[in-house]
Amino acid sequence: MSDKQSAGSKIILKVLPYLSLLSVLAIWELVVDTGVVPNTLLATPIQVIELFFYKLTHADPDGSVLLIHALTSIGEALTGYVLALAIGIPLGLLMGWFVVAEGLARPIFEMIRPIPPVAWIPLAIFWFGIGLTGKAFIIWASGMVPCVINSFVGVRMTNPVYIRMARTYGASDWEIFRKICIPSALPMVFGGLQVALAASWTALVAAELIAADTGLGFLITMGRRLLMPDMIVLGMLMVGLTGVIIGVIIDRVEKRLVAGVRR
Amino acid sequence: MSREALVNNGPITEKPKNLGELLTAIFKNVYVLYAISIICFLLLWDTMAVMKVLGRFLPRPVEVLYQLYDMLVNPLAGKTLMLHLWFSLRRVLIAFVIAVAIGVPIGLLMGFSPYFNAFFKPVFDLFKPMPPIAWISLAILWFGIGETSKIFIIIIGAVVPCIINSYNGIRLVDPELYDCIRMLGGNQRQEVVEVTFPAAFPAIFAGIQISLSMAWTTVLAAELVGAREGMGFIIITGMNQSKPAMIISGMVVIALTAWAISLVVTHLERWVCPWKTNLE
Amino acid sequence: MEDKSGVKKPKIECVNISKFFGEGQEKIHVLDTIDLAVKENEFIVVLGPGQSGKSTLLKIIAGLYKPSTGKAYLDGKELTHPGPDRGIVFQRYTLFPWKTVMGNVEMGPKLRGVPRKERRGLASRYIDLVGLKGFEKAYPHQLSGGMKQRVGIARAYVNNPKVMLLDEPFGQLDAQTRYFMEEETVRIWETEKRTVIFVTNNIEEAVYLGDRIAVLEGKMPGKLKKIYDVNLPRPRDYTDPAFLELRHTITEETELTL
Repeated sequence: MSDKQSAGSKIILKVLPYLSLLSVLAIWELVVDTGVVPNTLLATPIQVIELFFYKLTHADPDGSVLLIHALTSIGEALTGYVLALAIGIPLGLLMGWFVVAEGLARPIFEMIRPIPPVAWIPLAIFWFGIGLTGKAFIIWASGMVPCVINSFVGVRMTNPVYIRMARTYGASDWEIFRKICIPSALPMVFGGLQVALAASWTALVAAELIAADTGLGFLITMGRRLLMPDMIVLGMLMVGLTGVIIGVIIDRVEKRLVAGVRR
Repeated sequence: MSREALVNNGPITEKPKNLGELLTAIFKNVYVLYAISIICFLLLWDTMAVMKVLGRFLPRPVEVLYQLYDMLVNPLAGKTLMLHLWFSLRRVLIAFVIAVAIGVPIGLLMGFSPYFNAFFKPVFDLFKPMPPIAWISLAILWFGIGETSKIFIIIIGAVVPCIINSYNGIRLVDPELYDCIRMLGGNQRQEVVEVTFPAAFPAIFAGIQISLSMAWTTVLAAELVGAREGMGFIIITGMNQSKPAMIISGMVVIALTAWAISLVVTHLERWVCPWKTNLE
Repeated sequence: MEDKSGVKKPKIECVNISKFFGEGQEKIHVLDTIDLAVKENEFIVVLGPGQSGKSTLLKIIAGLYKPSTGKAYLDGKELTHPGPDRGIVFQRYTLFPWKTVMGNVEMGPKLRGVPRKERRGLASRYIDLVGLKGFEKAYPHQLSGGMKQRVGIARAYVNNPKVMLLDEPFGQLDAQTRYFMEEETVRIWETEKRTVIFVTNNIEEAVYLGDRIAVLEGKMPGKLKKIYDVNLPRPRDYTDPAFLELRHTITEETELTL
């Protein structure tokens, strides 16, 4: 395909993404400014940006500055996420190699897996309250699923030749698990990190929409209660943006770790 | 005992010589382990409930069963459990059909036209990281707390996998298949009909599958927006009335439905893509 | 095809073909001024090690790549686009995984708009010829490597092409199957005579199959080094002294260590 494209079309393809974003912003601004969509239903991009700078330094009308909201959310998400990794990855690895581990853990895992994070909210509140623990529990429950699945599949995909070779040399089950299965499962495990992050981040927003007094999800809810569409949009954009930034950071860490493993 | 040893040494084919070996053989059987696991789980749950480890908010499994039976027979807010389930399923199906009708063509266009892709992908990437739940407030503001805003939220959740998979399905067709069809005399239209669509079909179908389970996951979030019926309503009612048994029975029904959906879709896939090799 | 002077014109002719890939710093010179003429119904083998550009040459004749310089002709007409007058068999089989054996083989006639019943008959004949009778309804993933390549050969043959292009077709098969498929190739070719251009990196395979062997030089860019005539009677025997001698000669003279 590449030698078919002329130099002109290459330039067009490079410009189009910027053009597209700009035109979306322009249409958005115009649609509200001209009153096609009332300002009570949608904020203009400029209003959102103004509110962004205002919220950087001002705690009102929702009680905290933007940074506090963001940090609260990140703190909650990371707590649940790290717990999900710490429990989910070892569990998945063990389930992949040891029949007993799979036999005992799988039915429970299959029972919990299809339950959406939102469904955990009431129980989490009853059991752990609306503080950090309750939210971390919801995030943990939804972040753990991809961790377990990816580690499990990663071990299962170990090249059987390596296992047979190790067995010929007299390695024990545990040695094979540690020295062959875990290293060869690592790429899949790392792949699961991103999926788990996305799941955790979604769960966080769910948790905060229901019960919270700070956080980005709370910002969105407050925007609705105060009838401030600019605050809703700001909250949504912050959720998206923060999610992307954490994703990029994890991707970097992951690449460095994988490079270390290859070496 | 590792999986590989189980497969290679085949303990099932050899007759156990004494009681010890018999016991090992039993405990190596996965189904026996599954049964043990479930029994232990229920026992642990019951013990925790009786000892009130989580306060009064963990009902005993029997209480959940009774609650399930009760909701099946006696209506809650005028509707029985099956009717609530039906209302949720109906929302899911409506939103799912709309999401497929929007998402698949957009994904296909992105895959076919690099220009459309260059124009649309930045906008898509901007909206993609926002979870569907984050749209709840805007949806309420725009559409009120009626049926429209619920459908809207589910569509947001379900449309993303349709777009991504259709796009990747088209993009990742083996280019040698195009060489092949051109050597056989195919024109441009035939390339699309005979190669692009069938080659991308499994990926597109997988996207539709994910989209359906996403829709089912999102319906709960959508029903948090003041619903008067549906599975989300049951869970919220359980929360408002401090009835954890109602919440857990709601969760059980939700999980069972999700499980049933994936079972149906898997069978459907075998039927529509018989050429797809069964990957373990 | 004979012109007025009575001299046979070549079926396929490559004149002064060079090929570069990429641009600027990353520009790679793959083929260097190849001249090659193939007679009607001749079985010519293009032999060369990996990276010698032999597959690129085949794809230029197929019309899938455009030569950077020079031209390729079929019956005196320049080849610029892929088309059904040349049948191609790929190294990776490249069957349509969503089609059965029958669906794959009948694809050529189907694209031409041949009615269903007629193209089924045509396809059946070629499925029979390659020895796959009874497997019409099987999907590619249910077939072994050798059987997949039989489908590939039938699919190319069914279009009644003037030229068959085979791009290392048996490179992914085990040795046993490979010998068997080489025999089969000769049998099929003798039943349905065609001009064949067969690309391989295996000297034994080349000597067993070819009327002539065109050897490409080892390092990039690929250059035509020498053309050998193989005057051995068919069916050939891998252990025949004359066979082994030619094999030895090619090995010595071309420094191919395969």
